[in-house]
Amino acid sequence: MDDDIPAFELGDKLAMRCGNTLTGVFVPGSKIALSAFHPVKWNSQDVPTDSAGRDPVLIYMAEEASLSDEPLLRSLLAEANSTFATLQQMGHMKVVNSEYLKISLTYRSIIRAFLEKVELAKKSIDVQPSQIKRYNEAIMVFYAVECLWHLFEILYMEQQQHNQLVVQKLLQWARFHFPQTEDRATDLLLMADEASDCDDYWPILRTLLMFGEVDVTRAILCQSRKAREPAYQAAELILKSMPVYKEGYALQKFLSQWEFWHLDLERKLQANIFASEPELEWLLQLVCGNNEQWNAGIKTSQDWYEFLPGYLLYTKPACKPFELRIVATSWLNRWSQLKPDWQMSNMSRMVMQLMEHDIKVFIYDSQKLNDTHWFSTHLIDLVYQSGHLKSYFEQNSLDLPALRHSMIYEYGSYLMTSKNLWQFGVDYLDCCQKEGEAAIELLLPRIPLKTERQAFKIISLARQRGLLGVEQEICKVLSKRSTQEGRHGNALEWAIRSKDVILVTAIADFILQHYSNTGIMLCPDVLASFGARMFISPRLVFLAKYYEFYELYRKREFLSAADLLVNLLDSKITPDYFWPSLLIDAVPMLESKDPKIFSQETVAILRHLETELVPLIERNKRKTATFSNQSSKTVFKDFRVENIEEILNLMRLACARNLSRALIIEKTLSL
Amino acid sequence: MAANVSIHYVSEKISKVRWVPEQLQESERFISGSWDMSKNFVRIWRLQSNQHQFGNTDASLDFTPRCNDKIAMQDEVNGLEFVDHNTLAVGCADGHLSLFNLQRAVEEDKLQFQARSERLHSLKRSDSSAPCTAIAAYGSDVATVGEDGVLNVLSANNLKQVKRSIDADSISLFAVTYVNQHELVTANRMGVLRMFDTRLSSEAQPKIAFMAACEDDKASNFVSAITVHPMQQHILMCGSEEGTVTVWDLRNLAYPASYLTAHNSPINDIRFHSKDPSKLFTAAEGGEVWLWSENKALNESNQKDGNSAWLSGERVRTLIDLGGVLTNTRKAINSFDVHGSRLVCGSDTEAVYIVDDIF
Repeated sequence: MDDDIPAFELGDKLAMRCGNTLTGVFVPGSKIALSAFHPVKWNSQDVPTDSAGRDPVLIYMAEEASLSDEPLLRSLLAEANSTFATLQQMGHMKVVNSEYLKISLTYRSIIRAFLEKVELAKKSIDVQPSQIKRYNEAIMVFYAVECLWHLFEILYMEQQQHNQLVVQKLLQWARFHFPQTEDRATDLLLMADEASDCDDYWPILRTLLMFGEVDVTRAILCQSRKAREPAYQAAELILKSMPVYKEGYALQKFLSQWEFWHLDLERKLQANIFASEPELEWLLQLVCGNNEQWNAGIKTSQDWYEFLPGYLLYTKPACKPFELRIVATSWLNRWSQLKPDWQMSNMSRMVMQLMEHDIKVFIYDSQKLNDTHWFSTHLIDLVYQSGHLKSYFEQNSLDLPALRHSMIYEYGSYLMTSKNLWQFGVDYLDCCQKEGEAAIELLLPRIPLKTERQAFKIISLARQRGLLGVEQEICKVLSKRSTQEGRHGNALEWAIRSKDVILVTAIADFILQHYSNTGIMLCPDVLASFGARMFISPRLVFLAKYYEFYELYRKREFLSAADLLVNLLDSKITPDYFWPSLLIDAVPMLESKDPKIFSQETVAILRHLETELVPLIERNKRKTATFSNQSSKTVFKDFRVENIEEILNLMRLACARNLSRALIIEKTLSL
Repeated sequence: MAANVSIHYVSEKISKVRWVPEQLQESERFISGSWDMSKNFVRIWRLQSNQHQFGNTDASLDFTPRCNDKIAMQDEVNGLEFVDHNTLAVGCADGHLSLFNLQRAVEEDKLQFQARSERLHSLKRSDSSAPCTAIAAYGSDVATVGEDGVLNVLSANNLKQVKRSIDADSISLFAVTYVNQHELVTANRMGVLRMFDTRLSSEAQPKIAFMAACEDDKASNFVSAITVHPMQQHILMCGSEEGTVTVWDLRNLAYPASYLTAHNSPINDIRFHSKDPSKLFTAAEGGEVWLWSENKALNESNQKDGNSAWLSGERVRTLIDLGGVLTNTRKAINSFDVHGSRLVCGSDTEAVYIVDDIF
């Protein structure tokens, strides 16, 4: 077992001083924050510790080094994500098994493409040694993943289509994962009749046969200078006549043919036909399944399963998956007896688990691979969707849906919390019903907001899922951020998006107060274009309408301006602090040379003056009286404070004058 | 969906793609810019015939893009336009504009850094840079807009000097396009479009503003993409947050000329075909690219009175055929470009989609 837990040293001075203890806290995003720790108990004395103030308190962030930092790996994650999504869609419409097989093939081709890319990157010029190490790790992990997936596919996904004969498939699998021999075989073929001069001519031929490459072996033997000799001719005949199972054959017929051929071969070997050519005889002994020769072969192999498919070809060509279990066990025993000092690697063990139909342990082990659970998550999902092995899980009382759910949930949360993989993570969490939705709701607002564009992408994800809270939270954050920058227009727009009435009112208040204090209207371009959106807050309606008045006034359209002003006065949405500004705005229009306000409106202004402003001033006076020590912290901060009585009088006079003027004109007109 | 779509995973979220301009032949190179990565790059890709033919003769697998060169950027790439055949302007989220020079070669093309502007977009109070959100090019002029609401015009010949800086908006700007040599249209997050004249100073700008139409007038609706008809420059199209396209006749800004409901997610990019102005493309956050083509036969009679099909209001739908070029990619298509009959898309799926024979 390789249970070596990675250890690292912090060397924190403070921690060493106080007894070399550390404390750690989990931080969102699969990180751990570590810092020095000094145990304090109920009976510790409340005095400064020895180490107080001598060393700075340092906090270390520990993060699991994962492969996802590798840019090349992203393509694997991205492609697998899209295949995953396709598979989920298939789940909704019942499809045939071959479709699931296609998905499985797609996953494997993704891994192969990835491995190819990494191999290519390893060879590029500007690659650093540290990167090569990472690449090698990635290759090792995903090579194993591909190998296991391939075997899984053969044993548990394909068998329902074909009539359960696995030997040919297993041969392909073994050849693919031990490709060296095939390369050498190609060399030999190219060398034609000079091939037999090579030192490793016979070892290669033996290995080829042990991989079940009968045809290639024959081709090489035919090129031999001795090909015309009777022993070679006989061997050629034997190999050529070896029955190979083909699709659509009657199994019984094939088996009896094979038995016959096998007996014939045994007889020929016993008759010492090949005695003149010991090497050739060795080859045929292998084909015959002779234990002695195979044991010798085993000693040259790298892993236990390397020659198992070949052995099956010559001894049990019609082996079925459920028979494989017994064969594999006995083969493994034989293998470990011949190689007593052999240590079983993780991958070899997982291959064994698959062959022995020990899926439970296989799944358990597959989660230990350093691939951030990429393999186990996608494989389990595929198994769940395709419905294979359903009975197995039921018999072993394994809750497959729950297992899949938790795997996908973990994997999705991992992606969501790792840097810039959130868009993929969401897809996985989407398959996790309520829990997934809750996780999305929690994790989406945690994505650091860099630009507004990115914020909208997150908002768009939230909207698709109906997570209004997330959308509003993001908008609020951005609104606050803009306020801090003094960009009130921007802040106001975000606040409107956040649908937070209090926030909108606060910003509108700020703009109004700023105007009444300084006479400067902030962000006029925004105020002009709210449209119907202003109805979110009465204060915003007031602001927008007041701005409209302000614009009309500026454009010298006094008649409409006066109309609007009276409307505003009547509207009952005027904030207290704005009454003085609003009423004073009326003065120039009351006093202008040509009359602009009708008598009725003038009366309205006068009424508001007496019923709104005067009581307000009274209230204020009382407040300033009770807190006279405070420097008049009131709504009248500006110059109008000192001369408030005078201004009141002026306004009353102006109203009176305009009223008389307007009455005269109106009466004259009506006559 | 068009038949020949090929997907190439590039391990980067792509924010912008542009074909490298070619005069006489179909372009085989394109430029991509990435976003939201720990390191963002501008890359040049070249289509290469596929060496592994896996025994299938599918035309779409004939070529694969291969990265020839890359330049690391300080931040996300938000704007990518060619100023001339070999010069590329790049707007970056750190508020700077950069110029790269493209050197075509037989074997490996090269990208070379040429110039970088001063910080064009910044937040005044905290003195931090604000992202440049979009750029537009006209001749050798490049216009940039940013989240700070400023519109800058620079000349590609001298990036050190800003020709004109206009405080265009108090809200973040999301898109910009040239209407003609001197006039620009910007769009902000509230859906307000404004027109500016680069010859006038910030104070002297005419106040021309118009709103993108919206289904629900109480909903917020940003405009994220605008473009101008290549032949009839008074026709302005803008794509918005709710997925609709609003068409404006710039000679009459009182009301939109047409309002077309289209996608059901924000429109990320909108462009006419550079050679065939009867074709318009839109790309949406939901992962679709649509092709809008003017129905030639029906438009015959219309063209006589000089009216474009796009300006015919309610009748647009009968005059324009709509088709999907790319559908169901599940994640946002951020940008696309068409050259000849080939379309390239950059997406959040971290893949580049190349569509052959789009017509």
